[in-house]
Amino acid sequence: MLRTVLTQVEGVRAVLDASPLDGTPLDAEPPRVVDAEAVENATNRSIPIVGGSIPGFGAFLDGRQDSRIVAWIGALTPLVIGTVSAGIQQRDGRRLRSWGETIVERRLYAPFARVDSDRLRRACHPLPVVDTLTRDDDPASALHPAFLQERARQAVLRDREDAEQRVGAAWCAVAQVPLFVDGGIAGSDSMARSPLAIGVVKSHRTFYGDAEGMAAALGLGPAERTPVVRIAPRGRRPVYSWYLRLRDPAGHDALWGLVRIEVAETSDPTGRADLVSRWVLAERAPLAAPDARWDRMTYGVRAVEQALGAVARSGWRT
Amino acid sequence: MIDSTSRSELHGDAEARRPLGRVVATERQPNTPHEFHFWTALDAVVGIGTIVRVEGTHAVNGHVPLIYGVVTDGKSYTDVPSPLVDVLGFDGDPAGVSLAPTDRTEIRLYSAAVLRQLPEEPLQPVPMGEVFAANDADVAIALRMDGYLRDGARTAIPVGLYHAGHTAAPIHLDADFLLGPEAAHLSISGVSGLATKTSAIEWLLASLFAHFPAAKGSVAAVCFNVKGPDLLYLDQPAEMLDEDLVMYDRLGVPAQPFERVQYFAPYKADGRSLNTIRSNEALRHNVTPLTWGLREVLQFAEVLLNKDDVDAKADALIDFIGEKLVDREFHDPRLANGKRFRVRSFADLEEFFRDVLSHLEERGGESWRTHHAATIRKVRNRLINISTRCAGLVTDDGQTSDLPWGSFQDRTVYVVDVALLEEDAQDLIFARAVSKLREHLESRSLGVDHVVVFVDELNKYAPGDGPDTYVRKMLLDIAERGRYLGLVLFGAQQFRSQVHRRVVGNAGTSLYGRMDADELATPGYATLSAATKSKLATLAKGQLMVRHPHFTQPVFVRFPRPAVLRGRDGAERFPQAHDVSFEAALLGALRVLDSSLDPAWVAKLRALHDDAELLAVRNAALQQRPKNVRRFFEAKLGARLPAREAGLPGVPAAIRALPDDPYAD
Repeated sequence: MLRTVLTQVEGVRAVLDASPLDGTPLDAEPPRVVDAEAVENATNRSIPIVGGSIPGFGAFLDGRQDSRIVAWIGALTPLVIGTVSAGIQQRDGRRLRSWGETIVERRLYAPFARVDSDRLRRACHPLPVVDTLTRDDDPASALHPAFLQERARQAVLRDREDAEQRVGAAWCAVAQVPLFVDGGIAGSDSMARSPLAIGVVKSHRTFYGDAEGMAAALGLGPAERTPVVRIAPRGRRPVYSWYLRLRDPAGHDALWGLVRIEVAETSDPTGRADLVSRWVLAERAPLAAPDARWDRMTYGVRAVEQALGAVARSGWRT
Repeated sequence: MIDSTSRSELHGDAEARRPLGRVVATERQPNTPHEFHFWTALDAVVGIGTIVRVEGTHAVNGHVPLIYGVVTDGKSYTDVPSPLVDVLGFDGDPAGVSLAPTDRTEIRLYSAAVLRQLPEEPLQPVPMGEVFAANDADVAIALRMDGYLRDGARTAIPVGLYHAGHTAAPIHLDADFLLGPEAAHLSISGVSGLATKTSAIEWLLASLFAHFPAAKGSVAAVCFNVKGPDLLYLDQPAEMLDEDLVMYDRLGVPAQPFERVQYFAPYKADGRSLNTIRSNEALRHNVTPLTWGLREVLQFAEVLLNKDDVDAKADALIDFIGEKLVDREFHDPRLANGKRFRVRSFADLEEFFRDVLSHLEERGGESWRTHHAATIRKVRNRLINISTRCAGLVTDDGQTSDLPWGSFQDRTVYVVDVALLEEDAQDLIFARAVSKLREHLESRSLGVDHVVVFVDELNKYAPGDGPDTYVRKMLLDIAERGRYLGLVLFGAQQFRSQVHRRVVGNAGTSLYGRMDADELATPGYATLSAATKSKLATLAKGQLMVRHPHFTQPVFVRFPRPAVLRGRDGAERFPQAHDVSFEAALLGALRVLDSSLDPAWVAKLRALHDDAELLAVRNAALQQRPKNVRRFFEAKLGARLPAREAGLPGVPAAIRALPDDPYAD
């Protein structure tokens, strides 16, 4: 494909050592605190989880993305190949197996305003070509190669989220047991309304709550949670959420072992939070090492990542 | 060459079409033409020794490659990067494992040694592909048994069943490589106490007798029973388990004891009864005494005399005795007033020595016929001593009762029981029996074309180190030259590493039962993987690892319990006869020939003749097997017996006339 692009699109030069865009400093979002509406009428800011951990999840959902600059048009415009994948590992007995169809999709990402998009589409056929710029983008900024790379990366990320939501929606439509979703569920209408989808967020660039709430969350002891709040991010479905400490943070930073859980709105937020917290706590073992985020990562999600990595690399089911 | 059509016919059933695993190769652990790796599901029925078939995915030179391999090693691991991670994951509490809702991803990764590639050229590294459990046809192809299982050229001898999952495929040895002429000999090793070695030999002999092709000639077996009652009930049926009967049926061998078995055992030192555990009256019918006279022993004097005894001078005198004296009339006017000697027995020889030494003492001479008096005394001492050391085997009277040289029969087992004998006598029997076998096979006059000689305890008889004994020389000779004659050695030993390497090295086929860990650490087992050694160290009874020239890798098999009574059971069911009176022993021996003989008749004999005389006639009777035993005794014992029986019935007769007998008239 790239050879065709090189011969048919003017001014294209290949990148011999394409390195991934994911995980670069472009990845970093600015930290922020977003206010959230209290749902649970709790006097204490830290609520111990009573009854111990109990397995409740029947499956784990995760997605994966890989984006690389494969060529430049002129000196400023990057052409990015993005591969997204999403899948579910179902727990059968105590073993994990692939459930349903694993999605693996590959696209070329380019700013159409800066290239001959028709010629590029023809050269890349049958690979889909995606425009990385939107009408809202500042034309002056769009001249900057770093800006274009970031836009491409975000476009790949959107496609990944879309793939995850499609897989998650499929589960919620037919399955009977709860699904552990790596990340939030508010972006998917079907998951955000389903009692089966449980989102577990590991990164905390955005913090939901007020100053006291944040202090309480960061001060949680092992197997303690914060009261449930309702969060309604812009453009997304409202969901109930709370923070849960998976492991003893002694000797570590305040975010160590801290996750935020998202569930569909419910009439019994306290009971739901307690039960789901017990399910999540049960997933502390086996340890997800050697993943660097093993303090918040669960083994099931890591298994999905591993499986997606194998499938995406081998080109299966594309 | 197997094309895709016949391959699908071979492996048509659905189960066979379901892959067991997939070949996997990495840069760090690549496949080669002789080894490959594959993974399986956790519940796959695969283990060390499992035979598998790999189907390639790309045709080479128009043929999709088929690779057959045997599993030699296995690994399993999870994605846990360090044991410490697992400890942390469960807070150091092993009981926490059961609370973990998910089992870690786990792999079963196997390494297999290539048994065969089809097509065989070009020989390439094993390709990626699906791995299937081998079925019967696969096993035959993998082990190259298809070459000797063909109709019209079948030389296959079943050795056992290869088991893996639902497969129970017969494994065959090639008779041309077991009994010659291509290769020959068999060596079986294993720890003692499991009865695997003896059972395996009994089973294999039964299989050999059932399957050795008639076109290849006749075959018999000579087994030396060197310890206990192991081989003493080969003609007695054992109680069989259903699983064993199924195996016999599958392998096409009748689950029956040997039809034709002949036992041979020397007498005890007193000469009355046979020196064997198989002395029960019910089993006496096919036990023949083994007795040799002076001539037989003198040919193998070297076996019994050590090098210090047999110097050049002594050797010259022994040669003189053998050539000039034994069974010949000898006359020396200087001896015993010109007496004519005819030396047939140790007693005759002793008389000769006595006269020679008397002659020297009387004349004050130092030598007789260039043989120094000291040499004569030494040779006399050593030779006459043989009849004492091998009492029961060597007769003073020159009577010989021997294996049926020249009339060996096809599919017959000849068991020589030497278990209760002194080591010297064992060595003498072994040396002479094997020499006679060799001699008759060389002249094609044995009666059969092939003879399997089974010897247990090769550690003892053909040790890798220690003195170069006559017996070891004979075993080396069989191992190195026997296959050209049809003389085949089946040797058993506990420690293969301690047997002379030219003996085990010449064994075309090797069987291994459960092995001692120290033995497995010796260099002879260096080619086996650690996993294979581990399996060898834990083999159950009835399991063997087989090496055969056609098999590029060892294969594990199970064999059925022999259809013959185990030694221990036989000894319980047929208790050894107790030492009995002379009359009872004589009667028991002769009743094998004539069941009508009664104690009164024996009592009369005893009253008239001395024991030595009666034993000599008994030996002659057992050797010649006369139709009428009473008449035979009459003829041998002269006129006294008939006269006494015919003349004055019921009245004891005087042995000889007394010169001053007041009652003579």
